[in-house]
Amino acid sequence: MAYKNIIYEKKDGIGYITLNRPEKLNAINDAMLEELDAAFAAAEPDLEVKVVVVKGAGRAFSVGQDLSGAETSEVLLEPRKPISRKKQLEAERRRNRRWEYIFNLAKPTIAQVHGYCLGFGCHLAMVCDMAIASEDALFGDPSIRMGLLSGMPLWIWLSGIKKTREFLYSGRYITAAEAEQFALINKAVPKDKLEEEVLRLAKGISLLPGDGLANCKDGINSVMEARGLGEAWRFTNEMQLVMQQHSREPGEFDFFEVRDKKGLKAAIEERDAPFKDFP
Amino acid sequence: MPTGFGREFNTQYQKCEWENAEYRGRDYQDAIYDKVNDRIARITFNRPEKRNAFSDRMFEDMFAGLHQANDDPDVRVVIMRGAGICFGAGHELSSPENEDSPPIHPNHNPTMVDYYGFERRRCTKWETITDFPKLTIAQVHGHCIGASQMVASACDLIIATEDSQFGIRGFGNLHHGVSHLPIWPFWSNKAYAGHIIPETSGKQAAELGFINRAVTEDKLEEETLKWAGVLGQLPSELIAITKEWINGSLDITGMGSAQQRSHFISHLTLQYVHFRPYEVNLYKAKRDKGLKGFLKERAISATPGTEK
Repeated sequence: MAYKNIIYEKKDGIGYITLNRPEKLNAINDAMLEELDAAFAAAEPDLEVKVVVVKGAGRAFSVGQDLSGAETSEVLLEPRKPISRKKQLEAERRRNRRWEYIFNLAKPTIAQVHGYCLGFGCHLAMVCDMAIASEDALFGDPSIRMGLLSGMPLWIWLSGIKKTREFLYSGRYITAAEAEQFALINKAVPKDKLEEEVLRLAKGISLLPGDGLANCKDGINSVMEARGLGEAWRFTNEMQLVMQQHSREPGEFDFFEVRDKKGLKAAIEERDAPFKDFP
Repeated sequence: MPTGFGREFNTQYQKCEWENAEYRGRDYQDAIYDKVNDRIARITFNRPEKRNAFSDRMFEDMFAGLHQANDDPDVRVVIMRGAGICFGAGHELSSPENEDSPPIHPNHNPTMVDYYGFERRRCTKWETITDFPKLTIAQVHGHCIGASQMVASACDLIIATEDSQFGIRGFGNLHHGVSHLPIWPFWSNKAYAGHIIPETSGKQAAELGFINRAVTEDKLEEETLKWAGVLGQLPSELIAITKEWINGSLDITGMGSAQQRSHFISHLTLQYVHFRPYEVNLYKAKRDKGLKGFLKERAISATPGTEK
């Protein structure tokens, strides 16, 4: 596959997937998603690749789904869209199967995070086995502010109950230090050390036998499965469908309506304004 | 089915606790319901002379408050707090014989089925708070012990003073599958290891992610209202659906079972614990030395290096 929105390369046993829409802060649209699918599918059986590093080009890892509405029908299911329940459920299933596939990829994966890492971008970093972030990284999942369900069960598995609720009800930013404290990432490092740290980790992993790595990963993931993660992906599909149908309270802010009338920037500003004082 | 305590225990569909508590025409006493503004309701545990220990009446007033908050379409957030010097000291240990709060007096001599019905009713209280469809915030100061910690844990968020004290005396924190503990084993091993027995300060609890924020006492109310104000801007339906998803996922991890079956059974089992002569037996100590005598004896027995 000819990649346009990502760069896929391999060197010394390490595969690199670089999100590459820097002018859009690596917002993920349908085309990028398709290329991501292809890159992971190419890396998985490739014996020259022992470990996969996922990172972003430019100023950020990724700001998440492309919210513009252009070529985003796969990454972004807008609430109350007039499509059939069957089609919606299929879309939700595809979405969660994709996360589950990356999560269970038969190779270790490392997210190398800098700058914004929000929404879908944050989910992508979460489904990687490990994440190392620079101290300037900002994580977050503002789905609820747009009337969407977060839809990433790993929040609960990683960050504990109280913090998950706080992060998802408020949609607030999470600093790299906090992300480390609450187990979203493995380590926060100074910005100029990020690449070096990730390379050190990836290099170490690349020296290990591939089958052993796959086996070890499967063992760890199976413990999460035993705690019900598999069922949680399925349950999430259903709840996404419920959230799609939520009714609108009078005067309720509608992100997508504002976006269509005033543009994306205005909609994001309006979305975040009520939360600017959040502690 | 009779419970042996003068109440009915329904094995068929039953309303949850707060649906059963009538708020219309209620004279709130042991817990007070008020509204901070249109969107924020508040339930204040109001037995300061008893450190807000739970009586049946306090449970009923609390659930009626939740019921009222649920029925009020303007309310989006419910704050729970305690009057006086603390959030709450847990179940009332000196409660009258026929009350829900422990201890179950041995004179009742309930059958296993009666006792199971009783535990089922008592333990289900926490889950109905957990699954309350609107956002709940516990505003904690001072001691937050036993049943009071369970109530705070069942709230979505906890904001506490740095020097507040969480804990369950007599049993470990794990005993009830308390829901504020992070459950993922890699995480919780770190957290559980040092916290099975001792109490946890608000500051430490915030660092471990058991609670959401620890602040100084003079900032507690301001901070809680700030969170309630900001989160109260979200439509109720978005909160309800997101909450259902989070709580449903927690159930999948086994939290539902921890809060219900294993909780019933562990209480039931406790009823049949035999005390060795040198162990502190609540019933015996209470009979011989009164409640204060029991508390003193328990404190001594739980402090290493002190002689009885």
